[in-house]
Amino acid sequence: MCASAHSSLDISHSSFAKPLLEARSLVKKFPGVTALRDVAFDLRPGEIHALCGENGAGKSTLIKLLAGIHPHGSYEGELRVDDQTVAFQSIRDAEAAGLAVITQEFALIDELSVAENIFLGRAPRCGPLGLRVAWLEMHRRAGVLLADFGLAIPPERPVRELGIGQKQLVEIIRAIDKKSRILVLDEPTAALTEHEVAVLLSHLSRLRAQGTACIYISHKLDEVFALADRITVLRDGASVVTLTTRDTTIPSVIKHMVGREISDLFPRRPVAASASEPTLSIRRPVAASASEPILSVRHPLAASASEPILSVRPPVAASASKPILSVRHPVAASASEPILSVRHPVAASASEPILSVLALTAAPTRNAPPFLRDISFDLRAGEVLGIGGLMGAGRTELLMHLFGAWGHRVSGDVTLRGQPFPAPTPRDAITRGLVLVSEDRKRFGLILPQPIGFNLSLSSLFRFTRTPPRWRGLWGGLYARQLAPIDTPAEHLANQHFFTSLRIKAPDQHARVGGLSGGNQQKVVLGKALMTEPTVVLLDEPTRGIDVGAKREVYELINRLTAEGKAVILVSSELPELMGLSDRIIMLTAGRIGGEFARADFSQEKLLAAAMGRGAAQRGE
Amino acid sequence: MTLRPTPQFLALPCALLAIAVFFAVKEPAFLGPRNLTQLIVEFSIVGTLALGMFMILLTGQIDLSVGSGVGLVGGIAAVLVFQQGWPASLAMLAAFAAALVLWLLMGTLIVKQRIPAFIITLGGLLIFKGLFWLVIQNSTVPVSRGDQDNLYSLLTTYYLPNHVGLALAALVAAALAILTNFTRAARTAHGLPVPPVARVVAQWLVTAAALVAVAHLFNQFRGVPLTLLILSATATTVYFLTQHTPFGRYLYAIGGNEEAAVLSGIAVHRVLIGVYVLMGVTVALTGFMTTAYSGASTTTVGDLMELDAIAACVIGGTALKGGRGTVWGVILGALIMTALLNGMTLLAVSPEAKFIARGLVLTVAVWMDVKLSR
Repeated sequence: MCASAHSSLDISHSSFAKPLLEARSLVKKFPGVTALRDVAFDLRPGEIHALCGENGAGKSTLIKLLAGIHPHGSYEGELRVDDQTVAFQSIRDAEAAGLAVITQEFALIDELSVAENIFLGRAPRCGPLGLRVAWLEMHRRAGVLLADFGLAIPPERPVRELGIGQKQLVEIIRAIDKKSRILVLDEPTAALTEHEVAVLLSHLSRLRAQGTACIYISHKLDEVFALADRITVLRDGASVVTLTTRDTTIPSVIKHMVGREISDLFPRRPVAASASEPTLSIRRPVAASASEPILSVRHPLAASASEPILSVRPPVAASASKPILSVRHPVAASASEPILSVRHPVAASASEPILSVLALTAAPTRNAPPFLRDISFDLRAGEVLGIGGLMGAGRTELLMHLFGAWGHRVSGDVTLRGQPFPAPTPRDAITRGLVLVSEDRKRFGLILPQPIGFNLSLSSLFRFTRTPPRWRGLWGGLYARQLAPIDTPAEHLANQHFFTSLRIKAPDQHARVGGLSGGNQQKVVLGKALMTEPTVVLLDEPTRGIDVGAKREVYELINRLTAEGKAVILVSSELPELMGLSDRIIMLTAGRIGGEFARADFSQEKLLAAAMGRGAAQRGE
Repeated sequence: MTLRPTPQFLALPCALLAIAVFFAVKEPAFLGPRNLTQLIVEFSIVGTLALGMFMILLTGQIDLSVGSGVGLVGGIAAVLVFQQGWPASLAMLAAFAAALVLWLLMGTLIVKQRIPAFIITLGGLLIFKGLFWLVIQNSTVPVSRGDQDNLYSLLTTYYLPNHVGLALAALVAAALAILTNFTRAARTAHGLPVPPVARVVAQWLVTAAALVAVAHLFNQFRGVPLTLLILSATATTVYFLTQHTPFGRYLYAIGGNEEAAVLSGIAVHRVLIGVYVLMGVTVALTGFMTTAYSGASTTTVGDLMELDAIAACVIGGTALKGGRGTVWGVILGALIMTALLNGMTLLAVSPEAKFIARGLVLTVAVWMDVKLSR
């Protein structure tokens, strides 16, 4: 590998070391927006310097500036490398100065192999004049690099066949192998599983020890704290503060990022701290706790009264025996019978699962080996079912298959509200009340050149049309609904409702989706799904690459959905998120169920063991 | 979806004005009623085809076969009228049906067999050309027997009587007023903001005056040409489809991101087949008009019209990658394209130079599209 030129240098994190890279009062304006108003920061040799900030704080703009994507002259301020002012005109210039940037958008060529992508433009040569590509040598070296990262991918495999997480790793491998002096990683772990993250972090630590400096952008503060030497916080286009990691804490960084304190990231149901009954108690309406009221008011004086004067229960599952609304006389607290009691009309049937999957086996195509094997589970109203697993375990495949977007069903049955649910297309799934929010919002979720409103209502347009019944005949029926006029004002209002309630940050709903930050784009995708009024919501990595504030909003939204009696399947690579939100977790391993856990059994160790395929054995014995 | 003025949107009328001034200075007859009428007939022919192409391009597809198709459909109708002695209406109906079947077939092949549109329609270009020449036996087939007028020949030779033209202009203005009022009432009923009354009234007055002025201008020669009405009807329909129906939204969505469109629950295949069938409709309309305009079906009818249609769309700001474009842009684009061709003919520019000019316009338009797409 690399000669030990770097490692022989003894570079400590002394503040006397001259900065490798320095940015001085950078200002970058776009028409109508100032993306960076005053950014200053420096990168020392052999340090990992994290950039933190909410989406829209200016991180991506700063990176593009460093990478030469926004060329010198398009911004104000100064950029220095090795104490020299630099004027990058292009990515090439930045690379020549030793910068390698790995952005959220992949710079891989889908049709080429993994090895070709890693050695793009610098393939090992052989033969007279070095005209021939040394394929074997290239594949061998690529194989070594992949193995270093614990990736069992054949180097000959086209990148197009890789999952999003694997692509990201290939890109990181390429940059690391180029031996760049300054690595800029923009959300490198957004799509990686915990295991892959651990591998990446250990590689970065190793590189740091060899003198490579790294600018690391991540929303995952745990990682930042595990890895970074210093943290610079950006807010609203300005660098707010630079902190030394060991002298600070996660809450204080979050405080700087949002300008306010977020005490509790997961808005869970409040648990009564004291043994005595509270005067007012509000619970999150999840299936497991359905026997407990979600809202219960006791008389503040008649504290001895055993029954609350007002109680509201979620109209789901186990509550069939109990009323959903019950009101007692506040004074005659001793009266045993409520003066008003409302029971859910369909509570009895609500205990049936909404979605039931039985021995599902599915394959990418008719003759391919299956990517899902023998999957069975039930999903009830008001429940969040978490699905975890390592990258490639079949999490996305499961959701996409249920939604009718991917794969061929080899065997098994899916039942939606008691009816068979073959879901041959996403359109059928949406019509039947099942909707998916994809992990790859730019590819599968959004029409980027179109406005927010256009995207929000795209799946629900038939709600705003009226088709004359006599058009719904045989052939005309094919197009009758599509050709009926849209009630534009009604549509506008519905869009406005979601635009406001999801707190999408944009001037108005006519703003183009492509110009929004990741968190706001995600809210648009969620809004589009919710406008279809689904009963089952499939969420694939709903908080991937979005900032802390937006994450919390997504969590609250999930709670709101279950409160409304919708069922949610949540896929997430972040175990704390999965554990914080789910009522039950299924871990997948190699397309099979590796273990199923009730809330009481949640622990990172158990879940990870199941993801690695050890959980099933434990359960079996 | 409100129209926001873009630099390009303002550039188009300016370009049109520049072209008009240039030709008017070189040859004052360019802006005379006679030439303007002729120009508008040619514009209607190209514009109608461009409107069909517009919907195809919106989805990110392309159709290279329309030029040959225009010739074929016009040829079928001409042969049925002149050689078989069919009534013109029946002959046109049969040719129209043939166009629908052909484009339904092409659309189905492209969508179901996943053959790229470029290849299928390139095949269509050659096959339709061959069929066309076979149908007319490489000869010249007039659109009417003797010198009798029929529905077919009248397509491009009928002009509205003066008072009817003016009455129609007034009627359209009245319809616009009612429609504006209706939209306004609907928005108010939903509590949405509406533009100030004064501005709406001013806009309407300008539009109404322009409509009457145009009718009056045509009356200086023979009256409002029938072809302009065909174009207007097509444009109105396409505008309604693209801006006010789920179908139109889906065109933009598919062109913007086809994978996301599928996952949003859009029946992409059905939409694409539908859009090819609509292309067939505009091909048939254009075929009748352009053949009637030549007076007879000959082997050169429809030559290179696919490129004129694509150029009109692209000049008007329609993205070749799909997902972007407006009906207004296409109309202006078609007008610019026609004005150039008409002006050059008027100045007796040689055919060689005309080909080169046409090519340059197409190239510049695509170059602008590429610039804009970044």
